[in-house]
Amino acid sequence: MFWRGVLGGGMVGFLFVFAAVQPNAADRFYVGEKACRECHHNAGHRNQFNVWHRSKHARAYAALAMPESKSIAEISGIDVNPFDSPICLGCHATASDAEEWERDEVFYLQDGIQCEFCHGPGSEYMEDDIMRSPELAMMAGLKMPGEDLCMICHVDKGSHMAVLKTQKFDYEEAMKEIGHPGKGGLIPEKQEEPAALLDGPKYVGVMACAECHQREEQGYVFSRWRLSPHAEAYTVLSTEKAWKIAEERGVEGNPQEAGECLKCHTTGYGEPAGRFMETFDPVMGVQCESCHGPGSEYMPEAVMLDPVAAQQAGLWSVSRETCLKCHPEESQGEPFDYEAAVRKIAHGKSLKEQTSSAIEYKTPFNIVVSRDGRRLYIACEGSDSLIALEAETGEILAEVDVENLPHGVCLSPDEKRIYVSNRGTDTVTVIDAHTFEVIDVFKTGDEPHQMATSADGGRLYVANAGSYDVSIFDVKTGEEIKRLSAGRGAWGAVRSPDGESIYVTNNLSHFVKFRAPSLSEVTVIETGRDYIDRRIFIPGANLVQGIDISPDGEFALATLVRTKNLVPMTRVIQGWVMINALGVLWKDGRVDQLPLDELDNGFADPTDVKITPNGKYAYITGGGINAVAVLDIEKMLSVLSHASEEERKTVLPNHLGVPTEYILKRIQVGVGPRGLAVSPDSRFVYVADALEDSVSVIDVQRQERVKVFDLGGPKEITLARKGERIFHSADITYGTQFSCHSCHPDGGIDGITYDIEPDGIGINPVDNRTLRGILDTAPFKWEGTNPSLSRQCGPRLAVFFTRIDPFTPEQVKALDHYICTIPRNPNRYRVGDELTPAQRRGKEIFERTMDNAGNSIPKENQCAFCHPAPYFTRRLVFDVRSSSHLDTNRDFDIPHLNNIYETAPYLHDGRAETLEEIWTTFNPNDTHGVTNDMTKDELKDLIEYLKTL
Amino acid sequence: MKTCFIMLLFLTPGFLSLAGEEAPVLAGEPYVYKEWETFYQQEDGLPNDHIFALKVDGDRLWVGTEGGLALYEDGKWKSWTEEDGLPFNVVSSIAVSEKTGDVWLAMFGGGVARFSGGRFDHYHQLNSGLVNDVVYGITVLGDEVWAATTAGVSSYNFVTGEWEIFTEKNAPMEEIWCYNIDSAGHKVYVAVWGGGILEWDVEKRYWDAHHDPDREMEIDLYRDDGLIHIITTSVSMSEVMWASTYFGLSRYDGRHWRGYTRQDSGLISDFINFADGRGADSCYLSTDLGLAALVDYNTNTWVTYKRDSEDAKNWTAHIMIDNNIIRSVPVHLTLPNHFIICSEFQGNDVWIGTGHGLARGIGKGFYDGLKRKTD
Repeated sequence: MFWRGVLGGGMVGFLFVFAAVQPNAADRFYVGEKACRECHHNAGHRNQFNVWHRSKHARAYAALAMPESKSIAEISGIDVNPFDSPICLGCHATASDAEEWERDEVFYLQDGIQCEFCHGPGSEYMEDDIMRSPELAMMAGLKMPGEDLCMICHVDKGSHMAVLKTQKFDYEEAMKEIGHPGKGGLIPEKQEEPAALLDGPKYVGVMACAECHQREEQGYVFSRWRLSPHAEAYTVLSTEKAWKIAEERGVEGNPQEAGECLKCHTTGYGEPAGRFMETFDPVMGVQCESCHGPGSEYMPEAVMLDPVAAQQAGLWSVSRETCLKCHPEESQGEPFDYEAAVRKIAHGKSLKEQTSSAIEYKTPFNIVVSRDGRRLYIACEGSDSLIALEAETGEILAEVDVENLPHGVCLSPDEKRIYVSNRGTDTVTVIDAHTFEVIDVFKTGDEPHQMATSADGGRLYVANAGSYDVSIFDVKTGEEIKRLSAGRGAWGAVRSPDGESIYVTNNLSHFVKFRAPSLSEVTVIETGRDYIDRRIFIPGANLVQGIDISPDGEFALATLVRTKNLVPMTRVIQGWVMINALGVLWKDGRVDQLPLDELDNGFADPTDVKITPNGKYAYITGGGINAVAVLDIEKMLSVLSHASEEERKTVLPNHLGVPTEYILKRIQVGVGPRGLAVSPDSRFVYVADALEDSVSVIDVQRQERVKVFDLGGPKEITLARKGERIFHSADITYGTQFSCHSCHPDGGIDGITYDIEPDGIGINPVDNRTLRGILDTAPFKWEGTNPSLSRQCGPRLAVFFTRIDPFTPEQVKALDHYICTIPRNPNRYRVGDELTPAQRRGKEIFERTMDNAGNSIPKENQCAFCHPAPYFTRRLVFDVRSSSHLDTNRDFDIPHLNNIYETAPYLHDGRAETLEEIWTTFNPNDTHGVTNDMTKDELKDLIEYLKTL
Repeated sequence: MKTCFIMLLFLTPGFLSLAGEEAPVLAGEPYVYKEWETFYQQEDGLPNDHIFALKVDGDRLWVGTEGGLALYEDGKWKSWTEEDGLPFNVVSSIAVSEKTGDVWLAMFGGGVARFSGGRFDHYHQLNSGLVNDVVYGITVLGDEVWAATTAGVSSYNFVTGEWEIFTEKNAPMEEIWCYNIDSAGHKVYVAVWGGGILEWDVEKRYWDAHHDPDREMEIDLYRDDGLIHIITTSVSMSEVMWASTYFGLSRYDGRHWRGYTRQDSGLISDFINFADGRGADSCYLSTDLGLAALVDYNTNTWVTYKRDSEDAKNWTAHIMIDNNIIRSVPVHLTLPNHFIICSEFQGNDVWIGTGHGLARGIGKGFYDGLKRKTD
């Protein structure tokens, strides 16, 4: 034996070979199934290729074009084409997250789950002299996977079970299905040099066609072919049935080597070798060129776009006769039905046309009114549009497509431009207010929310909730001239009446010491120099969102929530979980806080506030109770002026008896009110009823809703919409104190750590987790005790959170369905295929199996073992010794790592403010991965990579 | 012994006049800071009188001390210590972002802090990509803050949030002890203790290194052949590069080097803590024995400020050409400590920070270079 001979050469020889086959992991690349096939396509010995090619694994990529895939994506919060989703590709293709250089020229994503998905990139072990020795091959990177690996993708996925009605994965049965044992036999000699190409049309192979014909607009032609019997026409010859048929027809030996079979089971059979380009692969069966003719001359896109030119270049017209060459009128007793066959393999119509049935609501979020009071402009998150309305009649003047997830809207001071922020694409769309044409798009920081302009209109200030900063644009050039650091989760923005300041609210509390109350910030920018002028800190508050400033500029009002996260949430029945309140931010820096809740009558989710231009009233939306509160400014000031310093500091912020002194009324509006606007003459208030696709009009004099403008959304209420309404409703909570949205604003996080269960003050604190894109990441809850969302949102919610009657099964179903559809943001750190050098080095560390001293890292302590792609969680509970003295539990759910950069703080109890701290501070004994051997720059590289996941 | 005495004479400033040779003539009168204000500890508003860093921010002056951060504005002091939210009391270097107005602090053992609108943000080696908490120098270039630490250099892009680390692995650092840092144009300059001056081109992402051609020799074998010594303590970009070492000063205009030591200049001491360029022709040097100011490059005219004896209360300014004292001028400066650590210009004024107190030279009627009779 070769390897025995090597070992027989003594230690020196062994070390030599070891060194030769122990490549740097960073040098490995994927060679593709074709390279594996060179040795593993050997009937009677190593028949692995035939088995794989006819398996679901080989069709996994193509399957993403199926309508079911779209449905799965839709209910999983994946709002992009499955072919563009790293999550989908992660289990439907091999090396989908690899960089281009990591894939050899003949490696195709279209080959689905191929050999190297399970056995690792083959560049270093593929040579036959290495593969003859399992030990050497494994040293060179060959993996022999077990159930662990299969379960990364085949663990129960609610999304797939719901759509495909799949059963629980049975590993033993699956192994029988895909089993591909086999060894021995001769190793085929290397292929000869390719024959010299002949003049005239030549076969290019299906993969060349697929470069253009995989697109959605072309109906996923490649996928349709790959899912058809044509694609497996060659490999089907390896089956027992094929051997039997061949034998019946007098064919001796292997049908895959018999011309009589191959002429109809492959493409171009019988043509001289010079008629095949190097890209052509005969084992791909009956390919495009079987029916359309050799494609070398017509394949250029410019030719294909001109049907006449394509025909002149050799593109065949397909007719009944084309099929009859291999499909005789009757075969094996069955008549050939040409029309049915054509329907079966049809590949001209867009699947999108066939399957598009998604209902698109408007979901108006924020609203602004023109200076003359005649027009309303509304940013609609659901329809990705801006709607312009006639303010008096509600007539829709225009609907303008913007980008993904529009949130804020504001007007330039001259009202010639409308600015709409798009939090899904990190942009601001600039619209001409007269023509309603999009005239520019500004690139912002992460998740832009509200905006304000400078008094002269030259500057646009954009609050970026995701990057915690404010972008400042020169509106003439569209250039972002600077970025200023805000608090965490910059949200609302307003210009002071004197034009000298921009006030920016921040949705998330600053990081505070463990078990300390929240501390939120309103950032004040000086417009002259565009510097941060000051930061107003609001103790005990978070979710500071809406803001407006009194006409005299003496104070600002900001919506906020005083979350009592340090005591068990079960104390909601004492009115002691959240106080929905208003911050009064005085010009001199003083801060008052006044509740909006009344006893057992909460004002959940205060989202926006506007003061009437005459300074008499403030209107506040209560998103969780479908109401707008009317606040009498004079009475509010009176309450404050009559209170002592101590009362203003410690009593008023929590005193649920005082709101009746300054809240005149709660006016019922539509479902899920968000932003509002007041007419310049102080006569009307307009409210964006987000979950009813309408605008409520409140008459200030009558303090009543007098009109409702329909924005033209669909009238059908889908299951997801029902769930969305439940999610945003405080009716589910004792005293209507809060809704799901209160802790998970827009499906994200509020960034604080909660004490939930009544097991003692401060015991088992848990960090809030995002709901974006979580469907297939069960189990839920940090302790991992809830196997499904329905369990998570069912009775448990009533016991620990809401303390009221639990949801009905129908409500749970709708709520879960909605939660699953909340999309995850696009990753901001992985742009395109390439990683940065630092990210690439970090990936190598993430996947390492040896520490810096050359010691093997136990499998269970390797990053990639617990956090495998595409969700980067093994979906188990595990003890990484992260528990503190406050925990009664040691095992915690392995969190998924997608978009991990946007969900600080970290660890189950939120003690780690940054990713670095997870390992520099909370991993002293290498129990959460081996990290203490790393240099500082290595840890930094690892974190740069983690941000790309 | 006699030989030693003669050698000493040669090394002593003012040798030519002592030897009776004709003294060089001033080509013009240099400006001399005669009026000074001094500031000490609490009584003057400083949190501590060990002054490590000075940074002018318009009409304001930020002061980094061993015991906190101070701000001098409109004749009043305000200060921050750890009790006020300053993450670490020892502030070793200060930079101000012209773009954002934020103040960045290097903290000796405490990492880096951003002071913005009254809020301190703390970045350290356990919570960020900062390579080490012992930070000597800091500078801001565009959207990036650069920190010189005892274990290399870190940059932080405060827009993208990305950190980058430079050590011996990816930069030509013969040592990783980075003592000071400055930036100009699209380049960052690092003074490396034992590693010369490194120059990073941010746009081309390329390092260039300036070393002493004499390597570790503590004498300058070939005059003006390069950096005067590889133990550099600071670098100041002001039209040209000024680099201080513990063995003299170097000036580099991009083509030519010029070295200065006590033997041929008004340097009071070759032990220079900090160089502060004032254009291509002038540089103020903070030394262990006082302040040496090269005021005119072409004529090698200097003004040095020092206490002439340990018990002298007032300092004296010596106007010098090469190392010859031309004239001495008493000045109203009474700092008890002449170990000068840092300096900073504020309009016509100059600030100096010492191991015991802070002083401001009032630049009334200040002018650059030399005032000639015809001026």
